[in-house]
Amino acid sequence: MECRVLSVQSHVVRGYVGNKSATFPLQVLGFEVDSINSVQFSNHTGYAHWKGQVLTADELNVLYEGIKLNNVNHYDYVLTGYTRDTSFLETVVDIVQELKRLNPKLVYVCDPVMGDQGSMYVPENILPVYRDKVVAVADILTPNQFEAELLTGRKISTEKDALEVMDLLHQMGPDMVVLTSTDLISPHGDQFLVALGSQKMVRADGTTSTQKIRMEMPKVDAVFVGTGDLFAAMLLAWTHHHPKDLKAACEKTVSVLHHVIKRTITYANKMAGPGKRPSPAQLELRMVQSKKDIEYPAIVVEAIVL
Amino acid sequence: MSVSVWVLCPSVLWLDSDFTLTENTLDCGLGIAALRAALNTKPAFVLRGLCSVFYSNFMHEMECRVLSIQSHVVRGYVGNKSASFPLQVLGFEVDSINSVQFSNHTGYSHWKGQVLTADELHVLYEGIKLNNVHHYDYVLTGYTRDTSFLEMVVDIVQELKRANPNLVYVCDPVLGDHGSMYVPENLHPVYKNKVVPVADIITPNQFEAELLTGKNISTEKDAVEVMDLLHKMGPDTVVITSSDLPSRLGDRFLVSLGSQRTCKLMPDGTKSTQRVRMEIPKVDAVFVGTGDLFAAMLLAWTHHYPNDLKTACEKTFSVMHHVIKRTISYAHELAGPGRKPSPPQLELRMVQSKADIEDPAIVMEATVLTL
Repeated sequence: MECRVLSVQSHVVRGYVGNKSATFPLQVLGFEVDSINSVQFSNHTGYAHWKGQVLTADELNVLYEGIKLNNVNHYDYVLTGYTRDTSFLETVVDIVQELKRLNPKLVYVCDPVMGDQGSMYVPENILPVYRDKVVAVADILTPNQFEAELLTGRKISTEKDALEVMDLLHQMGPDMVVLTSTDLISPHGDQFLVALGSQKMVRADGTTSTQKIRMEMPKVDAVFVGTGDLFAAMLLAWTHHHPKDLKAACEKTVSVLHHVIKRTITYANKMAGPGKRPSPAQLELRMVQSKKDIEYPAIVVEAIVL
Repeated sequence: MSVSVWVLCPSVLWLDSDFTLTENTLDCGLGIAALRAALNTKPAFVLRGLCSVFYSNFMHEMECRVLSIQSHVVRGYVGNKSASFPLQVLGFEVDSINSVQFSNHTGYSHWKGQVLTADELHVLYEGIKLNNVHHYDYVLTGYTRDTSFLEMVVDIVQELKRANPNLVYVCDPVLGDHGSMYVPENLHPVYKNKVVPVADIITPNQFEAELLTGKNISTEKDAVEVMDLLHKMGPDTVVITSSDLPSRLGDRFLVSLGSQRTCKLMPDGTKSTQRVRMEIPKVDAVFVGTGDLFAAMLLAWTHHYPNDLKTACEKTFSVMHHVIKRTISYAHELAGPGRKPSPPQLELRMVQSKADIEDPAIVMEATVLTL
């Protein structure tokens, strides 16, 4: 497989978020991963303490220049996630546009990280950059419900709302949208959450069709960090292998997440001891230990085609 | 993965267990009881070895954490990019501090990026320490250009060793090659006087071994003496990764040597030393990142074979062989007939070599030297 990904995300010395979360799984699946580290922190910001340094938009440009001067700025995919800086994000857009000029088939997988459960955890001025510039050049988008609502200005209360929001997002740019989690009611009960996906495809006769799917995923009683980054990376991988089959791509992606999370929570509870809540350090994803599940995920969830 | 275990007991009773092995969880409590019974049954001793291999492989999830302080390149495989993936694929947890972030290695026509200062290194370490997660089994370092950075690394290693006295520091003392230094000269005294004394495993080439000891190597005997001198300076394991010594297999081969002070004591109370020699086929190309891969793989294989330098070296050099062979084939294919491959084309085929990294077929034999 000759497939090169440019991933622009955070680096943490310890643990699995950003590029640490995305790189190993993609490499294990045979992707060449070029990684630009947008920050270098000791660990993610959910620990009691964290320290480190950030990359400026200028420094990002300098790194890209180096790649370009050597004429190796040829990528099949770009992958981005959590970003706090508007000028950094704007520089990413410039880079994506240039890379797309060089390779019109390039697929930009974008996790538009802005917040969750009704509140933003990035500066507010990031929203217009995503809404007006980033989403327009994205091909695959993985917002949660809150982010999808922010980007479209529309609330989601029912599945119908969610489908309309995904159609609005298609119109803004990406042919593939996955609502990674929602507050929608699951028929399986409140221990499950609902995720939805939509893929716009062009038929042989030139007309477009959309495949829409729905998945119910078991909730886990813990806060994991880096799972969104793993999700976007694995969606990249599995849509690469199943480019016209969102159902299959999502089943694999969600299944990988399930195996990694299950292994992680088991280990975390063991480390914490009976009756104690695991700490952020104990809850780091068991990424390296999950290599086999990443390579060959046993399918544990069925996506329903709507 | 499913394993069938058949055992013949003295009362001609077959015990046939079919159970599923999963990575970490025991889904086969009954199977384990059967396995224990099987292992205790005498006539099954041929199977016993096989069973205990399966048994121990899946009972033991490796918990081994490496702190690797090396360069990061956006594209390609040097420094942490070269070391992390292979170690992770072998089950090691790798915490990585990137000493620089460059677009690519400095053998390309162009390169751009940023460096980490000694202070910034300290800040990152402080973050780890404040969270009380500064517990490591290994530290791994390589190419460094800055003396204050290197001195900060030594401080960190010393503190980590106080936190875990069993910590093993694997150090590639990168200074130069073929008679000339390619780092600032003032790094030499820092390596000699501060770094090597706290190192447990070092991987100098011949030039670096000569620089560190002040002794020239012209014969195998010289090399053995130099390795003994290096042991005296600190590390119990020394591998001279390449030398100019003539190979008994001819001039298409180079000689590598290794020496390990073992826990076994000689009759006179001194530690015994296992010394090995390897003849490595030369490849007509300049690779970058191979030394970093070597040090990382030596870490991994000495971890699995802590008292068997011969096997650790055979595995390590074999991995190198497979990766290099795959790389040079691909590079020639990209460059086209009769053309010399470029640095981008010669980037190690790391991701494509995963299976070889996980389970390297042994392609060379290390000779144990008897002196």
